[in-house]
Amino acid sequence: MTDPLPPAAPTALAAEPVGPTVSPPDRPSLPPGRWIRENLFPNARNSILTIFAILVALFAYRGLLNFTFSEERSWIAVRTNLRLMFTQAYPEHQYVRVWVAVGLVLVLAGLSAGIWARWGGVTLKRLMGWLMSGGGLVAVGVLIREPSVLTDAAGESVRDDAGELVRESFAAAMADRWVWWAVALVLFGIGLALWLRFEDLARRTIEIPVAWLVFGLPGLLVASTWVIRYGHYAFADGEFIAEPGELVAMSTRVPWTVMWLLLIGCYGIGRVARNRAIASAQAAAETSDDAEAAGDGVAGEGAPELPRGALAKTRTVVNLAWVLSPFFLYWVVMRDPEIDYAHVFSTMLPMGLAFGVAGSAVLWWLTRSDAGEVGRLAAIGLLLLAAFHWVAAFFGWYSMLQVARIAFLLLAVAGLLAPNFAGVAAQRRRLVGAWLFVVLLVFYGATVINAPSTIETPTDMFIGGFSVTLLVSVLTIMLSFPIGVLLALARTSRQPIFRVLSTVYIEVIRGVPLITLLLFFSGVLPLFLPDGMEIAELAAAILGYTLFSAAYLAENVRGGLQSIRRGQYEAADAVGLTTTQRTGFIILPQSLRVSIPPLVGQVIATFKETSLLAIIGLFDFLRMANSVIPNQSQFLGVRREGLLFISVVYWVVSFAMSKYSQRLEQRVGLGQR
Amino acid sequence: MEGMFSMNRRFAPITRRSALRLGGVLMAIALVAAACGSGDGDDQDVDGDEPAATTEAEAAAEEPEAEVTMTQDAGDLLAVVQDRGTLNCGVSGSAVAFSETQPDGSTTGFDADYCRAVAAAILGDAGAVNFVPLTAAERFTALEAGDIDLLVRNTTWTQSRDTDLVLDFGPTTYYDGQQLMARVDDGFSGTSTVSDLDGTSVCTNAGTTTEKNIADAANAAGIDITLSTFEDFDIVTENFISGACDAVTTDGSALVGRKVKQEGDQNWVIFPPTPISKEPLGPVYIQNQSNFGDVVNWTVYAMIIADEKGITSANIDSMMGSGDLDAEAVRMLGGEGELQTKMGLSADAFYNVISQVGNYDEVYTRNLGPVGLSRDGSANARWTAGGLIYAPPAR
Repeated sequence: MTDPLPPAAPTALAAEPVGPTVSPPDRPSLPPGRWIRENLFPNARNSILTIFAILVALFAYRGLLNFTFSEERSWIAVRTNLRLMFTQAYPEHQYVRVWVAVGLVLVLAGLSAGIWARWGGVTLKRLMGWLMSGGGLVAVGVLIREPSVLTDAAGESVRDDAGELVRESFAAAMADRWVWWAVALVLFGIGLALWLRFEDLARRTIEIPVAWLVFGLPGLLVASTWVIRYGHYAFADGEFIAEPGELVAMSTRVPWTVMWLLLIGCYGIGRVARNRAIASAQAAAETSDDAEAAGDGVAGEGAPELPRGALAKTRTVVNLAWVLSPFFLYWVVMRDPEIDYAHVFSTMLPMGLAFGVAGSAVLWWLTRSDAGEVGRLAAIGLLLLAAFHWVAAFFGWYSMLQVARIAFLLLAVAGLLAPNFAGVAAQRRRLVGAWLFVVLLVFYGATVINAPSTIETPTDMFIGGFSVTLLVSVLTIMLSFPIGVLLALARTSRQPIFRVLSTVYIEVIRGVPLITLLLFFSGVLPLFLPDGMEIAELAAAILGYTLFSAAYLAENVRGGLQSIRRGQYEAADAVGLTTTQRTGFIILPQSLRVSIPPLVGQVIATFKETSLLAIIGLFDFLRMANSVIPNQSQFLGVRREGLLFISVVYWVVSFAMSKYSQRLEQRVGLGQR
Repeated sequence: MEGMFSMNRRFAPITRRSALRLGGVLMAIALVAAACGSGDGDDQDVDGDEPAATTEAEAAAEEPEAEVTMTQDAGDLLAVVQDRGTLNCGVSGSAVAFSETQPDGSTTGFDADYCRAVAAAILGDAGAVNFVPLTAAERFTALEAGDIDLLVRNTTWTQSRDTDLVLDFGPTTYYDGQQLMARVDDGFSGTSTVSDLDGTSVCTNAGTTTEKNIADAANAAGIDITLSTFEDFDIVTENFISGACDAVTTDGSALVGRKVKQEGDQNWVIFPPTPISKEPLGPVYIQNQSNFGDVVNWTVYAMIIADEKGITSANIDSMMGSGDLDAEAVRMLGGEGELQTKMGLSADAFYNVISQVGNYDEVYTRNLGPVGLSRDGSANARWTAGGLIYAPPAR
């Protein structure tokens, strides 16, 4: 934890600290001079190390600045190609779909943040520190960056007799960079002003809600597009247009504003719902005189714990929406499937109804309290039948719709789980309801996925660049997670067949380099498929990534499983839980909690590993910067700019995930018990 | 896992949420299954009546592809393309001046224009092209698998490719050849030869035949060179600029492009005048598809004939209106006879090519002119001007 939160804010009602924190009680802050002496130069050896580290940092910083602001850089290549890098050939007149997709994600994000987030706050002291060090960093950058190259009237660089570039004097360079000086001064000034205003140490620990920063900063950015002229670069009919006078993305500032308002609006809705739930829980607690339970809920300003069970339905819906949104976004919003209604009414609908009705009947029967051995045998029979369909399909014995095979398999799985729902009528209804929901999703999904798109793009991929990177990483993470958990459970299972299979799988996959696996799936897999079965390169790549990632996730989860003490298993057995219940309610929740850091590490790794797509020939984010832009005749060989730009984007996303996981760890109290 | 089948039901803390969670797990399994298998053969029964044309990778990977392969085995690729209404054309997508991906996602270049020309001939619409960007490694597999109908990806015509692979080569559209580029300051000139490279370090990109060609040429000349290879020609160029390489070598067209764009204040020169290798580039299509092959070949020839006769996209309508065309041009542009209809095309197929895409010279100048490649004096000049660009007569 890099940011120990201070103790409770003065405004807090209860003694419980804001946010789960174990930071020691207020350590008296030292005057700057003494702090520096004690921490940076306590003795000769440390002083040398400090000076060396500062020099290295300055050197790297200077190099980065010189590179970024060098006259040789053509950042215009990145600016002109922004759209290409993010969506490749997605047609312009269909761009509203992209915005709908972004908007949906932001709506969900806003709602989730409103309902769940206990973000706590940033102390004023830290905020001031950030502002002042930001200003200082800009000022140092202005000082150490090398002076610009002089240009003559024609715009050519001036060279001296030895052919070296002539640079302006230090003083002239400093004067030229007055804008940057102003930025540094403003940042530092605000920080200093706050510092002086809040001299009292107690007041410096006043917390600014993190939400303000998270929503306010993008808001400022969006608002700035209405004020600052960023310049506009575009291509039209092969002609390069540079209009430094035009506002950046005249086309995007309105959508971005709408997006931001959506985010804020949904956050507000989520907050209101949350506060209401808390208030009603409080009221209920007061009437039942259970003050202690409600006490947790009101502790801390702006960050009370949501009472257990409150908003359960809303939370379930939002969770489900998150899980389904990638599929919805990519297949419905981005591709706009042209659904063949004749086929839907003649085949999919009747078949879906048949599976729904017959499956419900089967499940209802299987969950009878007296189903017993017969029920179990019937479920196993169903599983064998479902498995046989797949074998039959592989050898081409008889034809059957793929979706029917999938539905059979799912019905068999549901049948195997039926005993867990047996007996009580409400439980049986729940199982049947879940089954109907799954049937609906499967048949709807099959219809949508198999329908051709109405969106015409000039190349065969409807998206490229960052969208492909995002698509592959999101689907990989979502698909590999359940597989990884199942593999981990199988590897720790007492059933030798599961254990052996899972161990062999994990060890084989972990022993093969990812790029080999990808090349295998994109090039060799099609040869293994039965006749007539094809697999898209993208699907093959997602499959390869999923299998790879699942093996690693499984090991991470297994680490968590092994941290669970034996007593937990025994206690679960003692209260009569079945193995499934014990795993689902006692063991997995605890082990997943422990595995959060490695799991997030794996997620971040998967996100970055998608850059290997460039090697198997897909036009992902890296490929755009590395081979497509340097091969446009107007930007021939302009590669470093693009690489720096995509590094920054990769970093921002990875850093956000890392930060989120830190918050998650705090929320579940990891490392504090 | 025996609990899965256990009937111990004393405790039943299954809430609606857990039922939904179960649903989520089932969904995930279903989606994995769908991702692996939705292209199964049986689906064809259902989706068989759909047109094979889809523009999306996912959709293309499912039934339609199997269908294309099927129909290719069964019959005529030309008819397949006409039914589908789009031409799937394999290009590089990152080859300067030949096929570039533009900031708006469109594909332009010399190769891309040949894709458009063939689409204009077959479908009457130069825009009916579905560009499939391919790496050098994938290109032939994609063609053999039927993912693409036509491959125009600066591919050199060689004997081994023509015989070993299930492909046929169309007429050469661009005569390229490997050359070298070095600095004038180091004493090189336009008439330098390979023997002048003795003791220098020469750089090129890895994994192509350029490496082998320069090694062979150095051996033949009896000189010693230090050959370094880099993954990408951009990196080769950077090393040349920084001075780490004394000379670089690759196809002449690429060298000219680099010279024009990146020479700066340095003096670079390309030599020898006669390239050290022959690299004839042109369209490639699947073997034994004569109808389709004829159309591709004669599209290329029609553009060359139009160039010979001075018919351009700008003046074609006025020339046809004023009757300035000779008999061959009239036949070729569909004014009379049935040269095109016998090929399975509409009579005005080549009129569409010239009016929508242009003649050879227009395509050349539009795409290769900006990077500094000139037709004059090169192998790509008209045959009447001493070049190799020649077409059989249209009669």
